[in-house]
Amino acid sequence: MCKSDNIYLPHLATIEAIVDETPDVRTLRLVFQDEAVRESFSFRAGQFAEYSAFGSGESTFCIASAPTRKGYIECCFRSVGRVTEALRRLEVGDTMGVRGPYGNSFPIEQFYGKNLVFIAGGIALPPLRTVIWNCLDLRDKFGDITIVYGARSEADLVYKHELAEWQERSDVRLVKCVDPGGNGPDFDGKVGFVPTVLEEAAPSAENTIALVCGPPIMIKFTLPVLERLGFADDAIYTTLENRMKCGVGKCGRCNVGNVYVCKDGPVFTAREVKAMSQEF
Amino acid sequence: MSLLITETNLRSLVDALVKDATLVVGPKLSGSVVLYQPLAAGDDLTLDELPRRSAKELYFPVCEDILTYKRENGKLEVRDIDRSRFPETVLIGAPPCDAGSPSILDAVFSWDYNDEFYLERRRKSTIMGIACTKGDDACFCTAVGLAPDAKGGSDLFLTPLVGGSFRCEPVTEKGQALIDKHAGLFSEGAAGEAVAFADQSTGKLDLPKIKEWLNGHFEDPLWESIADICVGCGACAFICPACHCFDINDEGNPDSGTRRKHWDACGFSKFTNHASGHNPRDIQNKRYRNRIMHKFKYYDDKFGKTLCTGCGRCIRACPVGIDIAEILDTINKKAEQG
Repeated sequence: MCKSDNIYLPHLATIEAIVDETPDVRTLRLVFQDEAVRESFSFRAGQFAEYSAFGSGESTFCIASAPTRKGYIECCFRSVGRVTEALRRLEVGDTMGVRGPYGNSFPIEQFYGKNLVFIAGGIALPPLRTVIWNCLDLRDKFGDITIVYGARSEADLVYKHELAEWQERSDVRLVKCVDPGGNGPDFDGKVGFVPTVLEEAAPSAENTIALVCGPPIMIKFTLPVLERLGFADDAIYTTLENRMKCGVGKCGRCNVGNVYVCKDGPVFTAREVKAMSQEF
Repeated sequence: MSLLITETNLRSLVDALVKDATLVVGPKLSGSVVLYQPLAAGDDLTLDELPRRSAKELYFPVCEDILTYKRENGKLEVRDIDRSRFPETVLIGAPPCDAGSPSILDAVFSWDYNDEFYLERRRKSTIMGIACTKGDDACFCTAVGLAPDAKGGSDLFLTPLVGGSFRCEPVTEKGQALIDKHAGLFSEGAAGEAVAFADQSTGKLDLPKIKEWLNGHFEDPLWESIADICVGCGACAFICPACHCFDINDEGNPDSGTRRKHWDACGFSKFTNHASGHNPRDIQNKRYRNRIMHKFKYYDDKFGKTLCTGCGRCIRACPVGIDIAEILDTINKKAEQG
């Protein structure tokens, strides 16, 4: 498919594995069917793709696996609409479509030598998980790595196996939390909202980059906390996830003011986000 | 000396083009309304009024197939659309507000990623623009920098003359080629008096000033009630020669079907709705603000062009009387007051 000049043609990919992260959030591991595409497909952490369930249409998600892990890509989505429900009906071995990668990415090389703090809420861990593994796969290039991740309830925490793995690692500090009331009797994390838990965890802003992704309300309350911790707006990165269709700057819906999330983003610094027309 | 073509020969030109298997599209009466439609013969051409819909659908159809897919022997195959089969097209009789739209839209369909559906249709099209003599109260092309005799976007340009003939000026090589091929239908002669151009007594808008105001007034009381009466029908976007927003959807089932690109509109409530239910433009006033901003600021920020030709169709089509020219005039006044 890749030889055509039709920008809307997807690559075909086979579902190699399915992981149910929560009752309604699913990870699909995809392998491109065309050998040449398997060889040539490359992406950077933070980029997104258009995934299609034939007969239902396309949906936009980040590429949730790390570019350092070759041979496959992963996407992670919550079943909430026509396309995601159709994707959920697919089984291992089934075919789906992937267009991409699109958009900009996290400038990981610029983070070399720095400490990293990842802050994510709910289903917004996948866009940071690609960076987390990317950095863990190049572990000696970074200083301290802290991950603050929260969800409404224990059941809503995604990538539970990986959370356990990160918790075990001595070179990662994981602070996981659930909203008050979302914890079972055996929950081994913190109880509280992400911004509050972040403030308590108080990672040092010294030589540190913060990467934040979450629902708009979480971002809104997290940015002031980071500011109080001493993070400059240029040291805070986020990724915006507006509704998209084309992914390539034409269909006209993902704009925040004159900024096209699909082309100018999805990765922005807090300084860039603050300069945008406030239409989130 | 000018190049002239009589009305009879203009109709003969349509016949000749149709005979050459060229798709000829022009204003044609359909029931009680004039629309751009394929002409079967020169007599179909109607130059009495502005077509109800714009000519953009020649390059950017309401709905078009972008791929097909089929499962054969258990294996899913995706097939591209054969764009080489798009027909050579001549658009005839488009006034400047329609002839000028592709030169605005080329920018968005060819930046970074080329939309070959749009671009292939553009490559295969020749535009015969015509000076506008039929304007009405809703027209405001001069206010946005066009004019009833603006040749931008046309490959050749007709000016109606008193007595029924047309002065014909080649604007591009494509236009000259069309004239050369059908040279027998054109003659050289003294250009008579042109039919009076459409009355464009609307004041000029100061577009840079409007943009400057928009730059600083994303939040402004103006937006709070601008579209209170808007019913979100999308008519303004659909009949607009410059609106380019679209959606992509599948028609079919998991085993066989077609993926289509089709018009969408920023006035629709679901346009920006996230899967989570969160909607950045959750009320109609925000959506209408986006319409104005996109046309007079964002598109200019990105491509240096205004996304409006002043055709006035959105004003004529709006069921609740929202008048973009009036809104722009209000902004213009605010801008002048500083």
